[in-house]
Amino acid sequence: MKLTDSMLLRVNLSTHTVSEEPIDENLIRQYLGGRGLGSKYFADEVDPMVDPLSPENKLIFACGLMTGSSAPTAGRYMVITKSPLTGTIACSNSGGIWGAVLRKTGYFMIIVEGKSDKPVYLLVYDNNVEFKDASRVWGKKTGETTDILLDEVGEKRARVACIGPAGENLSMIGCIINDKHRAPGRSGVGAVMGAKNLKAIVVKGSNTIEFKDKSAFTGAVKEKIDKIKQHPVTGEGLPALGTKVLDNIINQGGLYPTRNFQFATFDGTEEISGEALVKKGYLKKNAACFACPIGCARDVELPNGITMEGPEYETGWAFGAHCGVNDLHAICEANFLCNELGLDTISAGVTIGTAMELYEKGHIPKEDLEDGPELKFGNSESVVYWTNKMGRNEGRLGKLMAKGSWRMAEAYGHPEFSMTVKKQELPAYDPRGVQGHGLQYATSNRGGCHVRGYMISPEVLGVPEKLDPQELKGKPQWVIIFQDLTAVIDSAGLCLFTSFALGLEDYTDLINASAGFELTPEEVLRIGTRIWNLERKFNLAAGIDPSQDTLPKRMFEPLPDGPQKGAVHQLSKLLPEYYELRGWSPDGSIPKKTLQNLGLTS
Amino acid sequence: MIKIRFFTLLQLLLNRKELELPYIPEETIRTLLERIQTQIETRFLHKLLQEQGNLKIGTIILVNGRNIHHLQKMNTPLSDGDEVALFPPGGGG
Repeated sequence: MKLTDSMLLRVNLSTHTVSEEPIDENLIRQYLGGRGLGSKYFADEVDPMVDPLSPENKLIFACGLMTGSSAPTAGRYMVITKSPLTGTIACSNSGGIWGAVLRKTGYFMIIVEGKSDKPVYLLVYDNNVEFKDASRVWGKKTGETTDILLDEVGEKRARVACIGPAGENLSMIGCIINDKHRAPGRSGVGAVMGAKNLKAIVVKGSNTIEFKDKSAFTGAVKEKIDKIKQHPVTGEGLPALGTKVLDNIINQGGLYPTRNFQFATFDGTEEISGEALVKKGYLKKNAACFACPIGCARDVELPNGITMEGPEYETGWAFGAHCGVNDLHAICEANFLCNELGLDTISAGVTIGTAMELYEKGHIPKEDLEDGPELKFGNSESVVYWTNKMGRNEGRLGKLMAKGSWRMAEAYGHPEFSMTVKKQELPAYDPRGVQGHGLQYATSNRGGCHVRGYMISPEVLGVPEKLDPQELKGKPQWVIIFQDLTAVIDSAGLCLFTSFALGLEDYTDLINASAGFELTPEEVLRIGTRIWNLERKFNLAAGIDPSQDTLPKRMFEPLPDGPQKGAVHQLSKLLPEYYELRGWSPDGSIPKKTLQNLGLTS
Repeated sequence: MIKIRFFTLLQLLLNRKELELPYIPEETIRTLLERIQTQIETRFLHKLLQEQGNLKIGTIILVNGRNIHHLQKMNTPLSDGDEVALFPPGGGG
């Protein structure tokens, strides 16, 4: 099949019917695939005011433009839907192998509609699809589900993406797990799958992708792989320690959120860092996703026999410093539980940290703990116990936690203790210490998120150049370029980590060589701008008022410790310029002219 | 004294977390790095610096938590009691 000669599969779970539709090549030119193309279909077909957990919400599994090809890191797929957590359009992105195999089935995207009257899973293979009874695996954890379904399908090369008990129980922070350890993690996409009674999608395929000019593509791929391997970050730092290379970097820089963002340095960092993972002997070997020359994944074995991938930096932080916990074993166990139960690790860890502050300040009564351990910062038993309760939706507090930190904190009358943007939990960088990154949190189209425009790269890591994290001048423009370029990388089906080594011109080369396009770098970046505005337009129509482009109140209070002591986030000085550079009105709405320029008026 | 802390790959490569050296007047990051290398058998400067002696892209050197990119880079002067943290290039998210 030609890269641009792609089919989408439409699956109606209410009627158990399917159809195939060709995808217009012009749409691929405008949106590439993945996040962009999936969001375009979603926004065209779904009422922005839809209840995210109703049958009328749709769930799109989309390959990026190059997913399944030999382009470096081209194993990514994305899940697009309306988020039950944020009420925004959601796009969660995952690696592993599943996405590449979806492409080999002959389908570029699957649009799932309606709701099955009983639990089902889909078997998708070589332009075929079957509805299969999932009653045998309903209620089961993701690892066991994967093993049972692979056995049932009888094909070792098949791949499984499924939900666990969290998604089945409609946890608003429930995720999807593919290949046992990889996740489109954020924004509660697992709950949408659960609401449709869809337990899993199993893919197997043997289609190959054909290129208009194979030698041009092969040449571009080789050149970019060389760049990635030669870059100090992607060639050495990430392969050696994975994302947990960051723990000490971020802590020493004074932006490592500790005890629910009450502090910005953690004295237990050394014990939970990537270095500790090696020294304690937990790390067994490196691993890599499909077609990845970086190989940042870790295969870990704990002393109690648990084997898993991870923990990643964000996860280690969420259950570690954020909860004041310096017990690496407990952090790994909580990570493992999240994967097994199908919970987003960032949201789960942040929610427990929020509960700890609420409990310590007397806002959660002791009786609500029922038989559980005290929610005190530093209590490692607590993070494992409460992750389990949250993932299983058990007990009064476990049920509240399953709704995410904002709804839990609101239930106790104190939403201000929830460190969220648009009700999604913030990741592992205190925005008071990085002004551009904070602006990106506030404006992210899916709420609190670090991978919509990873400003940590220039502001902390010095890649592609070092910016002063406290400088305001020029930051809105940097944020916009990072946000738009990220939308391109996602939609191309490549991993964001390639951007440490590659730039806009490199992505343009790969896009043109793979699809036979002749786009300029400016046109490619404009695709990202179009996607960003499309998402924003949907959110505004969904009732996400621009007043939500903000940060938790705590981020406007001085940092109490560390090398950036006294810093506050200066959002009010950045946001007006950001809106202006985006071509938006001062009130955050998108003028018709801006939409017209991007081809976003219907 | 100057306290030097080794992190990430350096910590694993050198199998040590820190080193203390007596303060020398007019010390800069450049002279300190050279002095550290004379104290440690394992070659490590190439993890932080390019062949010409400039910082590699992504190398992070902090003096009391402040990145030398925003001080005087390799010529950043040091004072008695300073803490210097060394990180070879790394990334994630």
